[in-house]
Order: sequence, then structure tokens, then C-alpha cells
Amino acid sequence: MSEEKKDGNVKDEKDVNVKGGKKDDNVKNEKKDDNSKNDKNLKQLSTELDQNIKMVTDELGTQPDIIIRHLHMFKSSKAALLYIAGMTDVNAVNLLVMSMIAEPPLSSGSEQEDSPFDCVMYRSLAVGGVRKLDSINEVLHAMLEGNSIVFLDGYKDAIAAYTCGVEKRSVEEPSTQTVVRGPKEGFTETLHINTALIRNKIKSTNLSMEYKIIGHQTRTTIALVFMKGIADDKVIEEVRRRLDLIDTDSILESGYIEEFIQDKTFTPFPLLQNSERPDAVAAGLLEGQFAIVVDGTPFVLLAPVTFVKFFQSSEDYYQRYDISTFLRIIRFFSFFASMLLPSIYIAITTFHQEMLPTQLLISIAAQREGVPFPALIEAMIMEVTFEILREAGVRMPRIIGPAISIVGALVLGQSAVQAGLVSAAMVIVVSFTAIASFVIPSVNMGTAARLIRFLLMILAGTFGVFGILAGLMMILTHLSALRSFGVPYLAPIAPLVPGNLKDVFIRVPWWAMKKRPSLYQNQAGTVRQSTPSSLTETDDEHTQKEGEQQ
Amino acid sequence: MERISLNQLGSMIVLFLIGSSSLFLLASDASKDAWLAVIVGMLCGLLILWGVNLSLYRLMPHRNLIEIIFELMGKPLGYVVSIIYVLYFCYKSIRNVREFGDLIIMYLLPQTPLPVLILVVCLLATYTVFHGLDVFFRMAEAILPVVIIIYIFLFLLVAWSGLLHVENVTPVLDDGFKPVWEAAVPELISFPFGEIILFMMFWKYTEHRGNMVSLVVKCFLFSGLFITFTNFFILAGLGSLAGNVTIPLMQMTNLIDFAQFLERIDPLVALLLFTGVFFKLTAYYFGAVLAMRQMTNAPKIAAVLTIGAIIYFGSFLFRNYMEQVWFGFQYNVKYHFPILQIWIPVLLLVLAIIKKRRSEKVHAK
Repeated sequence: MSEEKKDGNVKDEKDVNVKGGKKDDNVKNEKKDDNSKNDKNLKQLSTELDQNIKMVTDELGTQPDIIIRHLHMFKSSKAALLYIAGMTDVNAVNLLVMSMIAEPPLSSGSEQEDSPFDCVMYRSLAVGGVRKLDSINEVLHAMLEGNSIVFLDGYKDAIAAYTCGVEKRSVEEPSTQTVVRGPKEGFTETLHINTALIRNKIKSTNLSMEYKIIGHQTRTTIALVFMKGIADDKVIEEVRRRLDLIDTDSILESGYIEEFIQDKTFTPFPLLQNSERPDAVAAGLLEGQFAIVVDGTPFVLLAPVTFVKFFQSSEDYYQRYDISTFLRIIRFFSFFASMLLPSIYIAITTFHQEMLPTQLLISIAAQREGVPFPALIEAMIMEVTFEILREAGVRMPRIIGPAISIVGALVLGQSAVQAGLVSAAMVIVVSFTAIASFVIPSVNMGTAARLIRFLLMILAGTFGVFGILAGLMMILTHLSALRSFGVPYLAPIAPLVPGNLKDVFIRVPWWAMKKRPSLYQNQAGTVRQSTPSSLTETDDEHTQKEGEQQ
Repeated sequence: MERISLNQLGSMIVLFLIGSSSLFLLASDASKDAWLAVIVGMLCGLLILWGVNLSLYRLMPHRNLIEIIFELMGKPLGYVVSIIYVLYFCYKSIRNVREFGDLIIMYLLPQTPLPVLILVVCLLATYTVFHGLDVFFRMAEAILPVVIIIYIFLFLLVAWSGLLHVENVTPVLDDGFKPVWEAAVPELISFPFGEIILFMMFWKYTEHRGNMVSLVVKCFLFSGLFITFTNFFILAGLGSLAGNVTIPLMQMTNLIDFAQFLERIDPLVALLLFTGVFFKLTAYYFGAVLAMRQMTNAPKIAAVLTIGAIIYFGSFLFRNYMEQVWFGFQYNVKYHFPILQIWIPVLLLVLAIIKKRRSEKVHAK
């Protein structure tokens, strides 16, 4: 914080808030300029063109990527266009320059003659959005966001023209949360593309987006997206409060925001969902969740969230309800298997051999005969090995992939068994656990199971089945105590919300889901399938849906 | 103040009353007719619940047991009676902890030292109590369906394996009604049905209390019938053996052989035992903490840790499992508990009615 204060670029919090709303509506924010004029800390621009350019180059340094284009315009003799190469769209800048050096457009014929500055700002510039800037800091921020700055000699104000256009990835299929059936588009790193993808799904005026700039140095734009009339106002109020409290110099990914605003930090369980899929986010918004889109990452946050939400995949709603229900049950089973299987193996082989059927017991005992370690150590070795393999699989260059698979599967698996270091049964247990942990649609819930697995293994190695039960009871206490933005984490199971159970362990057909889950929204917004009073805009959608049923 | 929903209260009552009692054969003195004794016990318990506990609640719906005691008995006597109740709750918790520790050693972990096991259970309960009443009641709501499903699964397997022999239970009332009555009163009222007195500490925290009374009665009846049912099952499955084994339900599941695949499902019984005992001992723990804080205004941390320490060290009062069982059946159930579960509440009810009459008279004047 103290370092930032020294830096001339960075201003106090107040300015951050003032700028918060600006990014979106480039055109109509003259009102807010009054605010910044009152701010004594801001260095004013001068009327001298060269003085203004010098101020900019002094602050940013004479870097090669700062382009300064001097030109002569129709009324003011001298003008200059400044932008940062690479941050701007080349075509937009070319068009802008062309419009500036072209003949002045005919006067509108109004009796009142515009001042030359207004004439340039409102009539000359061939660009989508313009706004008036009056301090050097505003100019610098606008430039760093990718705007082009127009200085006119003799005027104390500058014009920011919206020419942002960083080279960006196009919309591609998301790499996580893949589906067999369903839309193949995923979010990208660009905020405006992401918000557009959401708007594209929900063409409603109730879709509300609020922009904020967070991070003193990175000045990352984030968008808080929610459905007016569906999302709970109290929750939205709380999010705004928590977002305003964030005091950091950098936001590079939505994970930063997640850790700042979650209800409780000391928990392995995720308290916010993240998704790369616009359809998943749109579905969440329509159920009353809010989304936080962060510029620079395709992962959009969704909250409030409950435990069971992490077991729902967006594909559940596109496939038939019967297979979706079946897959849900498979997922819950896999979650518990990936959490419990190694510890159950340890408990049974160490303490409760009598629980196994005799044949199986003999087989396992024969395998374990040559193994020099207790079951706990054996399981730990294998689990840690697998975690290393998994991490290596994520980090290694793609080309070496097959090599690692061979080493992992053959050397560590088969030879470890042949060498008598671990038993074959243990390898099976670990492999199954590993595969089961990938069934859970949400990666961060899978991570929770991974961490808890080690805790339970130690408990099982010490107290057997009793240890596992004690561990599970502790987890149950912890889960019951968790809340995500005020919503109990175990809802709708505890507290029981019978109406919401239609979409937990089973997924009923769409026509039977007459109401939205009522957990995280105001009561007026719960009706999904008849004309709601407060949501006139979505009427068409509803009638369409009803039409399909008939 | 933390609020609990009716559904959560109901789940807790069922879990608490069923507790571990469905694993054991209650009223084994009545041998074949033990299940009838359970019904008798339940009806007597219901009488007390309806006539005394719930009447008191209706007279003073915004007070818990300790507040009622202080209001009706005044300060000096109130302190004495409240301390007795705190100790009673602690003692009940201690019995559960100790019983659980002994059974775990007997069935699952023969070589683990008792103090370590008891420490784990106590730490777990303390962790839960720290999180507050609403969290604890939500846990009950979450786990009750699991418990019920496991019970149903077990019963189906037992029935499927052909272990049930109704002739073990017939003829009904072979020895007349007397042994049934003697087995039921007062033992079965004291354990488990009279234990509902603990909930006088919790009723005040429920929301939507209009339907509370009928819900409590319904849950009480459900639990009672459930225990009757399990008792009947155990008797029909094990016959005269039932009275001689420590955990009859465990014994019965040992006999299950379903398609030569599901042979040993003792872990499920261990799970039931664990959940039942855990919820019971934690509920008593909670009751003691609430009562103590009501009495002394002690900070939460101090109250939780003090009661936790009392429960932990109190568990070593008994030299062994048999002594505990003997002491419980010989003295507690017959002499000590009825005082706390029946006579003091009746006294309170009488005092409350007198007080109400008096205030009505004053009002009328």
C-alpha cells in the first residue's frame, strides 16, 4: 500500500470508485466528471498541446509502443492522437485518423454554433464511444485501457475515443466441463465478449450488469451480473459490500476475487462455483445466483452456491431426465468413493479383517504377505505417487505426455507390485479412487475430496472404521456450519426445502419444474412456468415453453 | 438468536429417542413380550410428555427448563435444582460416551486404550457444540434420512435371509400382563422415553411454534413405534438368545447371508450405533451447556470447555462396562431418573398452575 502511494499513477480509493462505473458507458458520463473536478489531487491538463503530450510521456516514459500522431484538423490548427500499440484495434484507429483529417462535416444548421472542441467530439470522430477527460490521470488510465486520446491545442480537455481491441482468443470450446450434448462455446479472456455471451443467452432487460474496477495496479474490470427480480436483493447488496471492501493491488484471475469475498476461508469446500460455460452461467442467473465476470480469465464465478450444485452438470438439463438422474447418483457415489475408498481399505486390512468374505480375505492377505509396509504407509505412498503423476500430467509439455503415461502406468504400477512394494489390491483401490475423482463435474469439489481423503486415511490408520465415522461426522458438522452468502451449504437437504428436491438427487422433467429453486432468490421470482407479475420481459420465453409442452 | 425449524426439531427428537436403543433389547425382563412392554412404556411416556412437559411449555412457551425453574422456585432453590439438572445432563452424556467407548473396544478396536477413544468422541462433540444449536439441528436433519434408509435396508436383508421366526414371539402374553407392566414401569419410562425432558431446553428456540406440540407428539409416537418394531424384530430373529448378547442387532446382522454376497454388514450397525450415541450425547452436552450458561452467564467458550471436561473425566467413574450397566439399571433407572424426569416437572406444573390461577385472580380484581 505504501509503495502505491508514492507512485504518481495510483490514486486513492475514492478515485477507484469514481472510475468504477465508467468503463461501460463511455458516452454518457459527463455527470461524473464533476466529481473528478472536485478532486484536488488530480493534475489538470494544460491548454498547450505539447505540454499535454509531455505530461503523458513523462508519466509513461518514452516507450516504443506509445504512438503519438500529430495532425492538423479543420478548426484547431494542431491536434494529436495518442494510443498504445497493441492495445487498440488498428482498423478503428485508422478510421479515427481518417475522420480527423477529412473535411469537416457540414454544420448541422442549428443557430447555435458548436465550439470547435464540441464539434470535434460530437461530430468529427468516427468512433463508437467518446468521453471528455480533464485530468492527466484520467488520460493515462483511458490510454492503458486501450482508448485513443485526442488532444486539441488550446483546450484543457482531452477526448478518449473507444478503440480498445487487444489481440484476443476467439470463442472456443471450453477445456473444462465438457459435455456431449449442449453448446460448445466457452468464455474467453475478454470481459466484453464474455458479457456479450451471457446477454446472448438471456435477452432480457432484467439482466443487470454492474462494472467495477478492482486492483490498484492492475485496474482489472469486473462485472457483477444478476437478474433483477430473481436474485435476492439482500445477497446482491452483500456482494457489492464485499467487492467494495477488496483492497489489493492486483486481480489477475477470478480466484483472487473468490478468496476475498467467500464467507469462510478455512474450509476445503468451494463456496463459489466457477464455470467456463455461458449456458451454465445463464442457468445459474435464472435460478437467482449472481455471476462475477473478471476481465482476463474465462472462469466466471457463480454464487450463492450449495453443496449439491457442484454435482450438477449443465448437460443434465439437455439430456433426458432419466439418464441425468442416473448420472447424478453415479456422481454422488463417485464423490464418496474418491473420498472414502482408500481409508476403508486401510481400516479393513488393518483392523477389521473379519468383515471381508473369506475368499477375498485370503486373496488380499496373500498379496499383502510380501509387502513390507503397514496398509496406511502403503496407501500413502500410492496416493502421493498418484498426486505427483497427476500434477506432472498438468504441467508437462504435451509432447512428453505418452512417456509419462508409460512410466506412470508400467513402472510405478506394475513393477511396484511385482517388486513387492505395494499390493495389487492397493493399486486397484488407488486407480479407482483417481478415476472416481474425475467424475465430479466441478474440479474444486474434486479437490475437496482429494484433501479430505488424506485426513480420512490417517484417521482410518489410527482408529479403523471408528476413525472414518468420526471423520465423517466432523465433516458433516463442518458442512452444516458452512454458508455461501447466507445460504446454508447443505440446503435443500438441511434445512429441508421440499420443493427444491426436484433437482438434487434426481432431475425431474422440465415440465415438472414449475418453480425455480427458492433458496437464493426473493420470493416474487420463484415462478418459472406461468406468467410472473414482476417479469414482464420474459413472458415470451415462458409462453414459448408452455407451448412446447402442449 | 439461532432458530431451528420444526423439521429439524422433529429429526432431532427421532434421532435422540431412537439413539442407540433400537440396537438393544429393551425390557428384556418381559422376555417374549418385551415389544409389548415397549408399547406400554411409550404410552406412559406419552402421558408424561403430553400431560407434564408440553403443558409446562404451553403455560410458559418462551422459557426453557432452567428459566422455568428459576421463575417458579425462586433464586436459592432454583440454583440447587438447576445444578442438579446440569449434573443430570452431564451424567447422561457420560453414560453414552462410556457405553460407546466400551462397545467400540468390544467390537471394533480391542487394542485401543479407552481414554483415547473417549477423547476422540468428546473432541468431536465439543467441535459440534461450538458451532451452535442451529448447526447441530441441521446435522440431525441431514443424517436422519440416511439412518432410516440403513435401518430399512438392514430389516429387509434380515427378512430376506429368512431369519425371522414369528414363533419366537408367540404366544403373546403367555405370562399375563404383569411382567410386561413391571418391565415397562419405570425402566422404560426412564430410558428412553422420559429422556424427552431434555427438549424442554430446546423448544424455546424453534420457529413457527404453532404446530410444535402436535409435531413433538407425532415424532415421539414415530420413535416409540420404531423402537417397538426393532424390538419385535430382534425377538423374532434371535428368540431367547436376544436377552444374552450385548448388541442383539449386531448379532442378528452377523447371521445375514444375502446371495452369498452381502455377508458382513456390521459396519452399518457400527454406523448406526455411532450416529445414535453421538447425537444423544451431544444433545445432552448441549443441554448442559445451555443450562449452565443460563445459570451463570458464563461465556460460551468457558461453558463448553467446562462441561466437556466434566464429561471426559466423568467417563472414568465406572470401572467397567458391566458396572455401568448394573448401576444404571439398579439405581438410576428405578430411583434417580424418575425424580428428574417425572416428579420435578410435575411439581413445576403444579406451581405454574397455582401461579397462573393467582395472577388471573389478581387480574380479575
